[in-house]
Amino acid sequence: MSLFSFVSIGNAEVNFAGKTVTWVVPFKEGGGTSRFARFIQPFLKKYLPGNPDVQIMHIPGGGAIKGSNYFEKNAKADGTFIFGCSTSVIVNVATGNPLVKYNLSEYRPVVLLPQNTHWFTRSDLAEPHDLSKIKERKLVLYALKTPASADLFHIWIYEKLGIKGAKPIPGLSSSGGYQAFLRGEIHLSSHGAANYVKKVKPEIEKGKVVDLMTLGIIGADGTVTRNPLAPNAPTFPEMYEKVNGKKLEGDDLEAYYAIGAAWSQASKAMMLPADASDEIVKAYRDAAIKMINDPEFKAKAAKALGPFPLIIGEEAGEIIKKAAVFSDTTKKQLNAALKKHRFTYRVQ
Amino acid sequence: MEQLLAALLQLFEPTHLAFLFAGTLLGLIVGILPGMGGTSGLALVLPFVFTMEPSHALAMMIGVLAPTTTSDTFPAVLMGVPGTAGSQATVMDGFPLSKKGMAARALSAAFSASLLGGIFGAFILSISIYYAIPIIMAFGFGEQFLLVVLALLMVGALTGDNLFKGIASCFLGLIIGSIGTAPITGDPRYTFDTLYLLEGVPLVVVGLGLFAIPEIVGLLDSKGSIAKSLNTKKGWFTGLKDVVKNWFLVLRCSTLGCLVGALPGLGGTVVDWIAYSHLKQTTKDTSQFGKGDIRGVIAPESANNAKEGGALIPTLIFGIPGSGNKVLLLGGFVLIGIEPGLDMVTTNLDLTYLMIWSLAIANILGAGICMGFSSQISKFTLVPYYILAPVMVCLIFFATFNINRDWYDFIGLLSFGIIGITFKNFGWSRPALLIGFFLSTKVELLSYQTQAVYGLSFLSRPVSIILIILCLATIVLLTKQKFDSNYRSDLIKGKLTQIYYIIILLCLPLSMIWFTSSLDYRANLFPISLSVIALLLLVFILFVKIADLKNLPFLNNTLMKFARSNIFEISGNFNNQLFYYLSFIGFLLMNFIFGFPIAAALFINMFILFHNRKAYVSSICISAVLMAILWSLSSLLTLQFPNGLIGLFIDLPWWLGGQLN
Repeated sequence: MSLFSFVSIGNAEVNFAGKTVTWVVPFKEGGGTSRFARFIQPFLKKYLPGNPDVQIMHIPGGGAIKGSNYFEKNAKADGTFIFGCSTSVIVNVATGNPLVKYNLSEYRPVVLLPQNTHWFTRSDLAEPHDLSKIKERKLVLYALKTPASADLFHIWIYEKLGIKGAKPIPGLSSSGGYQAFLRGEIHLSSHGAANYVKKVKPEIEKGKVVDLMTLGIIGADGTVTRNPLAPNAPTFPEMYEKVNGKKLEGDDLEAYYAIGAAWSQASKAMMLPADASDEIVKAYRDAAIKMINDPEFKAKAAKALGPFPLIIGEEAGEIIKKAAVFSDTTKKQLNAALKKHRFTYRVQ
Repeated sequence: MEQLLAALLQLFEPTHLAFLFAGTLLGLIVGILPGMGGTSGLALVLPFVFTMEPSHALAMMIGVLAPTTTSDTFPAVLMGVPGTAGSQATVMDGFPLSKKGMAARALSAAFSASLLGGIFGAFILSISIYYAIPIIMAFGFGEQFLLVVLALLMVGALTGDNLFKGIASCFLGLIIGSIGTAPITGDPRYTFDTLYLLEGVPLVVVGLGLFAIPEIVGLLDSKGSIAKSLNTKKGWFTGLKDVVKNWFLVLRCSTLGCLVGALPGLGGTVVDWIAYSHLKQTTKDTSQFGKGDIRGVIAPESANNAKEGGALIPTLIFGIPGSGNKVLLLGGFVLIGIEPGLDMVTTNLDLTYLMIWSLAIANILGAGICMGFSSQISKFTLVPYYILAPVMVCLIFFATFNINRDWYDFIGLLSFGIIGITFKNFGWSRPALLIGFFLSTKVELLSYQTQAVYGLSFLSRPVSIILIILCLATIVLLTKQKFDSNYRSDLIKGKLTQIYYIIILLCLPLSMIWFTSSLDYRANLFPISLSVIALLLLVFILFVKIADLKNLPFLNNTLMKFARSNIFEISGNFNNQLFYYLSFIGFLLMNFIFGFPIAAALFINMFILFHNRKAYVSSICISAVLMAILWSLSSLLTLQFPNGLIGLFIDLPWWLGGQLN
């Protein structure tokens, strides 16, 4: 009896006093995940019990696989190791990359930071929010860094919207692609929210660029709402309905949810290892909730992290599972799109 | 305007200035060491800067780059050895001046010319940034593709001692750069199923291997220093007066330096010679040139500092490096998350201005320190190489390990080290190899992108035509100047080794074709076409070499004479250098067994004592000081030392290579 109570007390008291928390970021310094970690870092120290030092360890390489595998192998479950996850970390798992050694879907997420994708085109090619002229074109070029990344989703999106002339130009990063778009060399382009505000909005105001659509914000119950940054632009499901004359449902809806989870909802995440105890997860989640109520956080978050609220709690775990484990029908859909564009790469 | 102010505010932040100053000091030292230039210096600091704030990292990198072409004058004037490739022409008149006892005059003229040139370069750069947007918008995939190809050809044609060897070096670099994941299909190319090659060898490892290691063994091979200590009392004022008197020459050569620097692929390597020959062509009395004419110092020095500003233009707006050190600078940009291109003149304009002004300030700082402390600094040229070399080797190993904490990087370093040593000795072009390696992926992607958007029609776009004409004209003009009456392969021994060396080089393209032939055509078209061109070039060079060895008569027509010039080349004693290189492998083994800290201390002591039995006091002091520096560095930046085999059995503290925390 006394032993039992001792154990339960020991579990309940999570305290990191005098410890150092290592935050493994599988990307280089200065990237989005690194900036996310840096922004959270001081608040974590402030609100975790015992105020541990939090150090960020960058292990870039192998398309985030090197650092992720390092975390899987070396992370201790006692709360002194946390992981900075992002879309590409998830996509590596979801697409079955054989080099992946990390069991992401079992990790315990603490905080998710959603993002959203905006699609746009030049004003001489289409009316705002209208794809009909684009669909008539024989050749619609767009940038695609590599099919083994989240860019793969573009192929599926354009496929589902029936843009027959869509042809990816390989090896273009989103910023390189945007430059080529401004030069008039490619026709469709997309950006995440931060760059949309910084780079695309001014061009829209000048009348050179028009909005087409956004990915849409997926709620906990599966409803999709418009992106507050471009409230007039339809979401992908709306556009799908307009183009195909039927609601987005069935396999297509399932694929959209999976893609949305990986690409948008879990764009950046902070996670604990799979074998972290519930108490430790709770301590972290409590700290995260205190963090979002911190006045300093409230003042700076919109500028540093974007307009979308953080997702904390069990809901986050569901999203990660959905994002990291694609169903066979979703994989089939993606592979069909890849095959059509003569890529040799396949989702496994 | 807002961004101008933001950049100014950031520029004068104490921490920014501190990093800039630290970088400048490092750059000065690197410039003084003969042969070591900005490329090696940047390669040394890159593994450490990416743990810093981006703006600090930027300050450090610019700080290292800017003053190397100022302080490289010390060895050029005092020893007759260029401190970097950019001061080769300074030796022509600087060294004779120093022999006449006018070293102080030569140095002060050189520093003030460098200062003016550097500031002029920064000035031009800050103006041209305003006109960059239309230029960037005019350069589509096709134009960029041409620009890169032309840059590669220019580097190849102009940095090698022999035109064909230079271009072949370029292609070999491109082939090595194509190792790894094929960018279009994701197929592994030439990776032998290793994760290390899948990623490609890190740029810093290639830079250190190709530049730092050959220079170190070269220094060791050339043995002790021959510098005389500097008499600083007289001549400083005379030097300043010389520059004031020749202000128009400074202005002309700075403009020239800036323009040549801005030509992608050209920056740096030839600019001093261009300035020197411009000087010769525009003066009436040329009798004193080569014997100690002060103008022969002023012209190249103002040009080689001005070119830094010019060379940043293609680097910042197209991501096309003008010279070896810009390759490393671009590598640094990637590490801290800066992408060259339109952003540099729009959303990141403040960073661009920060760089330009850091460049100007680093130039002022560098020249100021060189003038103010010249007698102290010139003592660096007196330090025997056998003391400098092991310290530098330890630093290089430490830097290499901290790129990825990956032991394979040491193998990469030593492999590129031997490539660098042989390239340097046998007259192949290391800058061309490095730039080819760096640009390989870009060339491949641009070729696909151009094809997808334009097909072949890009060649008839107006900018393309201008580019082609510009490039052909430059190459014809410059090769004419450079290869005139340059034939001297009669003096060279060991020609057979160099012929065998080509046969080794042939293995790379041949095996590349062999291993990639079974892949999808989108994955192997690029490496195979490169390999075929490289094969043709290498076979041609082999043929010319054999013909030259046998002295076949048909070599005497004009065209073949051109192909034959400098077809053989040797600098220093190759076997000697190989011996020193082997000692580095020994150091790697020691690292593997004992871990870095113990191995470094052992290596420094053994190396120094091997050369001078009596120097044990200095060897112990030097190893102690170096370790103290590395320990403080590693605790500041949370870096880790390589842990050796013994670390597996004994739990070592972090300062002997154990785990951090």
